[in-house]
Amino acid sequence: MLWLVLLATACRSTPPGGPAVITLPASMLGAEGEVLRIQLARFARLRPDIRVVQRATPDAADQRHQLYVQWLNAGASEPDILQLDVVWTPEFAAAGWILDLDRFHPPTDSFFPATVTANRWRGRLYAVPWFVDVGMLYWRTDLMRAPPATFAELEREAARARAERGLRYGLVWQGARYEGLVAVFSEYLGGFGGRILDGGRVTVSSPAGVRALTSMRDQIYRQGIVPPATLTWHEEESRFAFQNGETAFMRNWPYAYALMADSAESRVAGRYAVAVMPAESGGRPTAALGGAQLAINANSSHAESAWAVIDYLTRPEQMLERARVVGQFPTRPSLYDDPALARALAIPPAQARAIIEHAVPRPVTPVYTQLSDILQIYLHRALTRQLEPAPALAGAATEMQALLDRVGLGEARPIAGR
Amino acid sequence: MPGGERRRAASAEAREARLAWCLAAPAIATILLVALFPLGWTVWESMHLHDLRMPWLGRSFIGADNYVEAVRDARFRQALGHTLLFTVATVTIELGLGCTLALAMNRAFRGRALVRAAVLVPWAIPTVVSALLWRFIFEGRAGIANALMVDVGLVREAPVWFIRSGLVWIPVVLADVWKTTPFVALLLLAGLQNIDASLYEAARIDGASAWRQFRHVTLPLLRPAILVALIFRTLDAFRVFDLVYVMTGGGPGTSTEPIALYTFNTLLQNLRFGYGSALSVIVFAVVFGLALGYIRFLGAGLTETRG
Repeated sequence: MLWLVLLATACRSTPPGGPAVITLPASMLGAEGEVLRIQLARFARLRPDIRVVQRATPDAADQRHQLYVQWLNAGASEPDILQLDVVWTPEFAAAGWILDLDRFHPPTDSFFPATVTANRWRGRLYAVPWFVDVGMLYWRTDLMRAPPATFAELEREAARARAERGLRYGLVWQGARYEGLVAVFSEYLGGFGGRILDGGRVTVSSPAGVRALTSMRDQIYRQGIVPPATLTWHEEESRFAFQNGETAFMRNWPYAYALMADSAESRVAGRYAVAVMPAESGGRPTAALGGAQLAINANSSHAESAWAVIDYLTRPEQMLERARVVGQFPTRPSLYDDPALARALAIPPAQARAIIEHAVPRPVTPVYTQLSDILQIYLHRALTRQLEPAPALAGAATEMQALLDRVGLGEARPIAGR
Repeated sequence: MPGGERRRAASAEAREARLAWCLAAPAIATILLVALFPLGWTVWESMHLHDLRMPWLGRSFIGADNYVEAVRDARFRQALGHTLLFTVATVTIELGLGCTLALAMNRAFRGRALVRAAVLVPWAIPTVVSALLWRFIFEGRAGIANALMVDVGLVREAPVWFIRSGLVWIPVVLADVWKTTPFVALLLLAGLQNIDASLYEAARIDGASAWRQFRHVTLPLLRPAILVALIFRTLDAFRVFDLVYVMTGGGPGTSTEPIALYTFNTLLQNLRFGYGSALSVIVFAVVFGLALGYIRFLGAGLTETRG
């Protein structure tokens, strides 16, 4: 398989004077594939000297990641452009697999600061934010006048909705043992004023961390507002519960917004809004940052042309079109004042922007996925009551720190590029 | 001349031996290529630091370090424990149930052929499908098992099976038993049909009760079949992967994670080729040891029944 890729690479040659061929693996499915095809066709008219070839890749993040790692490890020069999940950039940068983009002078000031931070490694930018995803609190406008600002308020409102309106649940989120659980936890953690990592030191077991995890657990077993079944749920199960009117609150990503607006399928159409997750005093409201970035393969033989493609795809007009067709949020704050975005997005841009401004990247480190893997297990153990929150987080911190030390990232040296 | 004849015979023997080697060579080469070479490669890999996701660490020879890490790795030890628990639980239940089923199917009754075929249906369903099926049965309020338990009045609210580190084993073991008992039953049925009916006749004439017939005629003669079933089931159960992967993903936490799933996560999710190879080698050694032990045991069983 790898040999085939290498062989194909070796055989590919650009005829002198012919167009430079740039390969771009991206989702080819549905509206997302469609909008990319349209934009690349426009780009082809603009730059006849560059030919962009779309490559089908798996949509599942895990599989796509695994494929990339195999390609890049083999030193393949294709694909030229890579669509990266937000937590992969430092990993690929540290491995030397993607190009430092500072040489092209990307307009970093035009993007949301959090999206730029997430794509920096040791102070250099390695990927350009393409679209942004954030965790948010969906709340029912028919049950309350304003979204809760603190977890205590949220718990009160949830309990009231259950008692007075007979709702089955108060709040639902994603509690299965997977990346989504870490995203939810990072929002609670930020709300209580904690951090997972501080430079090369694991700080997840701080008092704030223990309070955040205890709060999540108590909402299940003490206040009883979060159903225990949440601990087996991913995004879609929570959406179904909210869409069927079974819960007052839901933590989810923006994709759910447009899907639940259809009154034929949704019992809550027109009766919900979104806000940033609550926070306690000492913490700040936090939205987990997700989304996609574009980077250039370090072995690409057409880096300049690849940059031209990235530059084009991340321009304001293309982002607006993407928002209209696929509903994905632009990474440029200036677009949120553009009336065109209000027409394009289901969510009012002001609401979206207020949440994105609270976006916090998950730890920016090359070993993020491995750290998250450890954390997921211990969080799940605590939430399924196999461990108390404090020893669970202590166990996670010990293993995470051991990993950082083992791979030489454990020093006090700050690893989040500034 | 006898000497010349002997020489001719010797050279003919040598020719034949050469021919034998030539004929066997493709098979030997194939075995070397598909079995021993990958195994050797894995062992070699297991003595290296090889993290595909952290190329900056290099790829140095580290001797037995990966094995030392495995011994100290609590998650690995727990996974080994889960695998043993799963193996013992499922193999015991499947053997008991399979034996009962085989005895029932061995009797002459109308529609026996149909029953025999029907019994095989769970075995014919792909594991991923049956795992999903059983997850749905135990999941949520709508799951059949949960709804039934509430309707019958057994519980007021069904437990969330998949977040209880102890209870979660019930659906997992049940799913495996449902799927694999037919296989065991069929193996034992074949064994039962090999038993000479005259032995039972003789036992009856001697006035042996049904239980004594089973204990002293059926069971000893069924032993080879039982041992074959045991080998297959133990080795299969020890390598369990798909069932758990689909049903629980190893959770809650890691409380149902078997060794194969942990190795898969290490090798293919975390891409730690060195450490993952070490885990694979350990699993191989355990399975190989089990197989060897069983074959000894089985050999003894066979000679005993023959004599």
